[in-house]
Amino acid sequence: MSKIVMRFTGVGGQGVLLAGEIFAAAKIKEGGFGIKTATYTSQVRGGATVVDIQLDNKEIFYPYAIDSEIDFMLSVADVSYQQFKGGVRDGATIVIEPNLVHPTDEDRKRWNIVEIPIITIAKEEVGNVITQSVVALAIANTYTKALDKQLLIDTMLSKVPKKVHELNLKAYELGEKYANEAMA
Amino acid sequence: MSATREIISSGNELAAIASVDAGCMFFAGYPLTPSSEIMHVVSDLLPKIGGAAIQMEDEIAGVAAAIGAGMSGVRTLTATSGPGISLKAENLGLAQMCEVPLVVINVMRGGPSTGLPTRVSQGDVAQAKNPSHGDYKSITLCAGNLAECYTETVRAFNLADRFMQPVFVLLDETLGHMHAKAEIPTAEAVKEAIVPRKTFTGPAEEYLPYGVEQDQPAVLNPMFTGYRYHYTGLHHDASGFPTEEIETCRKLIDRLFIKVEKFQDEIELNEEYMVDDADILIIGYGSASLAIKEAINILRKEGIKVGMFRPITLWPSPETRMHELGQKFDKVLSVELNQGQYLEEVQRSMGRLDIAKLTKTNGRPFSPSDIIEKVKEL
Repeated sequence: MSKIVMRFTGVGGQGVLLAGEIFAAAKIKEGGFGIKTATYTSQVRGGATVVDIQLDNKEIFYPYAIDSEIDFMLSVADVSYQQFKGGVRDGATIVIEPNLVHPTDEDRKRWNIVEIPIITIAKEEVGNVITQSVVALAIANTYTKALDKQLLIDTMLSKVPKKVHELNLKAYELGEKYANEAMA
Repeated sequence: MSATREIISSGNELAAIASVDAGCMFFAGYPLTPSSEIMHVVSDLLPKIGGAAIQMEDEIAGVAAAIGAGMSGVRTLTATSGPGISLKAENLGLAQMCEVPLVVINVMRGGPSTGLPTRVSQGDVAQAKNPSHGDYKSITLCAGNLAECYTETVRAFNLADRFMQPVFVLLDETLGHMHAKAEIPTAEAVKEAIVPRKTFTGPAEEYLPYGVEQDQPAVLNPMFTGYRYHYTGLHHDASGFPTEEIETCRKLIDRLFIKVEKFQDEIELNEEYMVDDADILIIGYGSASLAIKEAINILRKEGIKVGMFRPITLWPSPETRMHELGQKFDKVLSVELNQGQYLEEVQRSMGRLDIAKLTKTNGRPFSPSDIIEKVKEL
């Protein structure tokens, strides 16, 4: 596998950081190199947050995603979508939460914009809004095929409390299901 | 090579783990972005091994309590960011004057003042050299990757006890928060390498903590062990009591310099990356070096031979090596996330002013393309 660069964007407090750590840790477990960096504002909640994830088989020095090299983006907030979309490679997929993110017509021509109601899925189908980061994890991996599914799930489970394992497994399966439907 | 292990973590967490592995038993401080995770992690780890971590009422009390613990004989830590160092400055001067060992981690963010709390900077490099008033010789180490957040923190604890003074470890927001794999020494290897600080074992009435050779640090026995102590920020004599005697005052401040300068080879540490066959030399440190390395690799593919000299010990600076490199290279570029704080040291060491500079102070990291573009202009 060559280098895969992903970007998750949201607002402070949504928990998008965790998904990045899971991706990086799983890639390292596989024997490769993974780096997660996050950029956020000094507002406690509501500020634009971006998480860059780089996965490679070679050592990665520079920890941030380089503009135009981003292969996949997922966004659950308009403020950060607008601010950070510019780094995404032309033609790449951007998954958005359609209730919260509003791409322009030009955006839809430049990128493959996919609408998946991530927060609604987490809140109503999984039953806990906090699981949105795992729904996002599943969607990102389904699109990028970055990592072996079981490896990613095992890594995810090692980072969440045992009492919510079932809930997060459900979140992963639902995320994968919606992604597959959107790709079909 | 000693045994190593792999940890997937952030720079702040690695610095906290390093502190505990290096024998730190006390932390006092006040949470400050982007350093707070260091306090979170030591607060979890220290009580488990019989140590203590205290959140004090403010930054000043944080360093004061840490200095007190240092006086009592234990390895001690405080961690903050630039604004916290500004508040701690007066007490850091006290620790220099009293020769109290202490590790101070500064995870740098944009300044001055409250600046850019969540964003990266290398703006505290000059501050680390002289945070408080008066003359003393700073020891400042600067991590340039995740593994060094661990190894430089360990080294800081060892140097603090060896030279009996505060030692700074500079991280920055990028290193503190980036999350990846680090290959670091095992805790056992770190513990085996610890050299306990010197103590005086003679009769209590003969104990003179500052009555040492002119190139040696003070020998401070832990408090409450039967040896009389007196700590003061005033100029003091061999016993630690205040004096204004002319020769004693001169020798005291001279000694604060000589004890470090004479043994700089024990402190200095640098990395030279592809310097040997290079035509252009970049000088950079800290997280900026990550972008520099990436840029060098890209430039070399295009046939432009660039190398990097990276001081890991920023203060005292590697002036002799920089001087040599200044003779060898026509084109030298200094890269730092401030307005050129270390550039002045590079110019001084190299004895020349024609050093190109690339600086940034908007809270954003350098990208490799920033550096590539600048190198091509040279």
